[in-house]
Amino acid sequence: MFFLSTLRKKAKLHTTESVQPRLRLALIGGYNLYPLHELVEHLLAIRGIESERFLGEYDNFVSEILDGSSPLYAFKPDLAFILPNARHCRFSGSLLDAVERQREAAVGAAEHLLNLAQTFIERSGAAVILANLALPDDLDLGSFRSRTLGADWSFRKAINLELGLRAPAEVQICDVEFLSARRGIAAAEDARSWYESKQPGSPDFLVDVAQELSHLVASRKQGPKKVLVLDLDHTLWGGVIAEDGIEGIELGDSSPRGEAFKAFQKYLLALSERGVLLAVCSKNDHARAIEVFEKHPEMVLRLEHFAAFKANWDPKSDNLQRIADELRVGVDSFIFADDNPAEIEIVRQFQPQVEGVLLGPDPAEFIDRLQAGRYFEPRNVTEEDLERTAQYRQERRRTEFAASVTDMPAYLASLEMRGTIKEFDPLDLPRIAQLIARSNQFNLTTVRRSETEIRGLLKRPDYLCFTMRIEDRFGDSGLISVVIAKIEGSVFVLDTWLMSCRVLKRQVEDEIMNEIFRLAEVAGCAKVRGIYLPTAKNGIVAGIYEEFGFVRTEDSAARKEFELEVGKYQMRSTKIRVTRRAYEAG
Amino acid sequence: MKQAEVLAKLQEVFDGIFLEKVVAKPDLSAADVEEWDSLMQISLVIAVEQKFRVRFRVGEVETARNLGEFADLIAKRIEP
Repeated sequence: MFFLSTLRKKAKLHTTESVQPRLRLALIGGYNLYPLHELVEHLLAIRGIESERFLGEYDNFVSEILDGSSPLYAFKPDLAFILPNARHCRFSGSLLDAVERQREAAVGAAEHLLNLAQTFIERSGAAVILANLALPDDLDLGSFRSRTLGADWSFRKAINLELGLRAPAEVQICDVEFLSARRGIAAAEDARSWYESKQPGSPDFLVDVAQELSHLVASRKQGPKKVLVLDLDHTLWGGVIAEDGIEGIELGDSSPRGEAFKAFQKYLLALSERGVLLAVCSKNDHARAIEVFEKHPEMVLRLEHFAAFKANWDPKSDNLQRIADELRVGVDSFIFADDNPAEIEIVRQFQPQVEGVLLGPDPAEFIDRLQAGRYFEPRNVTEEDLERTAQYRQERRRTEFAASVTDMPAYLASLEMRGTIKEFDPLDLPRIAQLIARSNQFNLTTVRRSETEIRGLLKRPDYLCFTMRIEDRFGDSGLISVVIAKIEGSVFVLDTWLMSCRVLKRQVEDEIMNEIFRLAEVAGCAKVRGIYLPTAKNGIVAGIYEEFGFVRTEDSAARKEFELEVGKYQMRSTKIRVTRRAYEAG
Repeated sequence: MKQAEVLAKLQEVFDGIFLEKVVAKPDLSAADVEEWDSLMQISLVIAVEQKFRVRFRVGEVETARNLGEFADLIAKRIEP
C-alpha cells in the first residue's frame, strides 16, 4: 500500500545540504495543483534536486502567461510545468462534421497551447515542460468514437499527436496520455476528487505525473547513460557456452526461453541503433564466446554491434575500467547488466560509479528490468546518435590502421581529413545542446546550457559561437566540437570549449585554436582569455592553454585563467583541410 | 460498528500514517494536528477506505467536522 504521505518520510531521509542553486519551478495549469506540487518537491528531493516552487491559481494559466506582470513572471522561474485541463479540450462542432474540420480544430487547440508555451519562454527565458491530455474512460459512443475526430476520445488523441509533432525543441512534452494509459485510464481518473477539489486524477495518478515530471527535470541536468555493458551466459543466451557448447545454448525461435533471449537481443540492437554503445564484459573463454557471435544462426547481435568486447577471467571491475579507457567514456556513464547478483555486488563495490542492473532469472523480464531505470531515454534523438556505433567502429579501424603506419604525420595525412567550421546553426541546436549536456572530459568549463539559453546566444552580438565537424576516409565523425566566446572589450573570452574525445590527437584542437584567433582578430580583440574550471573528469585539458603558449593569469583551486595576445599566436599547420569557416557563407 | 470500535481501528490507521503520535478521539480535528494538511487528508481517506472497505460519496468527508463525526460516517457506510 502506497501513501502519498510516506513520500515525506522518504524525502526527509534524502535531504542533504546542496551546493546546487535551488531550481525555481513553476507549476501552472487547468487543475488544482495542490498537492501535486508537494509530491514533485519530494520526488525531486529524492533525486537530489532542491526546489523553490510557484503554484499557479486553479485554471488560470492562460492569463498568468499572457499577463507579463503576473506573479508567475515575478517568481523568475527556471522551468515551468504546464498541465492543461483535458476536460476543456472538446470539439465544439458536431460528431458528423467533416473530418478535415475536426482535425483543423485539433491543430488549432494544439497550436494554442504551443503558442502559450512559446510566449512564456520568450518572456521568461525559462524552459517549459508541457503536459498533453489524458484520455477519457467513457464507454459512451461505443465503437463510433473512433470513426470521428469529434468525440472527446479521438479529439484529445488528435490534439496530443499534433502537440508532439509540432512542439519545437525547447518545449518538452510530458506524455500524460501515456501515463494514464499505462496505469489504466479508469484507475487514473477520479471523478470524486475532481468534484471535491479539482484534482487532475486519482492519488496514484498524481504520483505517476509527479514521478514523470521529476524524471524529466532531473534528466535535463544529467544526460542519459552512454554505454551498456552486458554479460553473456544467461544474459544474451540461455545456458553456459563453455559447458553447453554452441549447439546446447538456448537462443532462437525453437523454444519460449530461446525466443525471449532473442527478443532481448533485438531490443539491445535497437538501443545500439539509437546511439547506446554496447560492450561485452563476461567471465568466459574468449574464443568460444566469439564463436557464438560468428556462427550461431539465431544471434541478432554480431561482433560489429559492440564497441568493446572483454571475455576473459579477470575481475569484471577491471574489465569495466579497460572498456572505459578504450572508449574514452567515464565509467559513470556505464550501465552494467548481469543475471548474477554476485557480479552486480562486486561491481558495486569496486566500481561504485557504474550503475548495475540485475536482470534476474527470467529472460521474459529482461527488457522491462533494463527499461525500469530509464537510463537511455534521449531528450532528442539526433543524427549523431544514429551514427554513433558506426563511428566507434570506424575509430577501431583507424586505430588498426594507425598501428600499421609508424609515422604520426604520415598517418594523419593519410586519413584525408576534411573539417567544416560554422557559426551556430539553428538546425544544429539539438546536437549542440546534447554535447553541452553530455561532454565531461574535454570540456574546459563544463558550463551547461539549455536549448533555450543557447538559442538566446544567437541574438547576442557580443557572443561568437561556432562548431566544427570532421570527416575522413573512414567516415563522418559529425559535429564534434563547440566553442562559445564572449567579446569583453578587447578581450576574446572563451566561455565554453568542448570536444568529443573520439577525435583527440587528430589536430582538431589545433584547427579550433586557429579559428579562435582568426575570429578574435576579426572581432578586433587584442588578446584571448581561456578559462579552465577543474572538475573530477576534465583533467585531460588542464594544461591545454599552456601548450598553446598561453600564460596563466589566475590560479585558484576552482578557477584558472590564461591569456595570449592575438599577435603572438602562431597559426598551426595541420593535415585537416578546412573547407568552411565560421561566419563565412559557404 | 460502534463509534468506539471505529476509533480504535482509526488509531491503527493514524499510527501508520502520521509521523507524530496522534490519538484518535472524537473531538479531534485536522486543525489540531500540524502535519494534517490536504496531502495528508488524501492519504488518510484512501487508507480509511481500504481499512474499512468502504467508499465515501462525493462531498461526504468534508461535512464531518471532527473525528467523531467522521467515525459515524464510516459506521454509516459500513452498514448496508
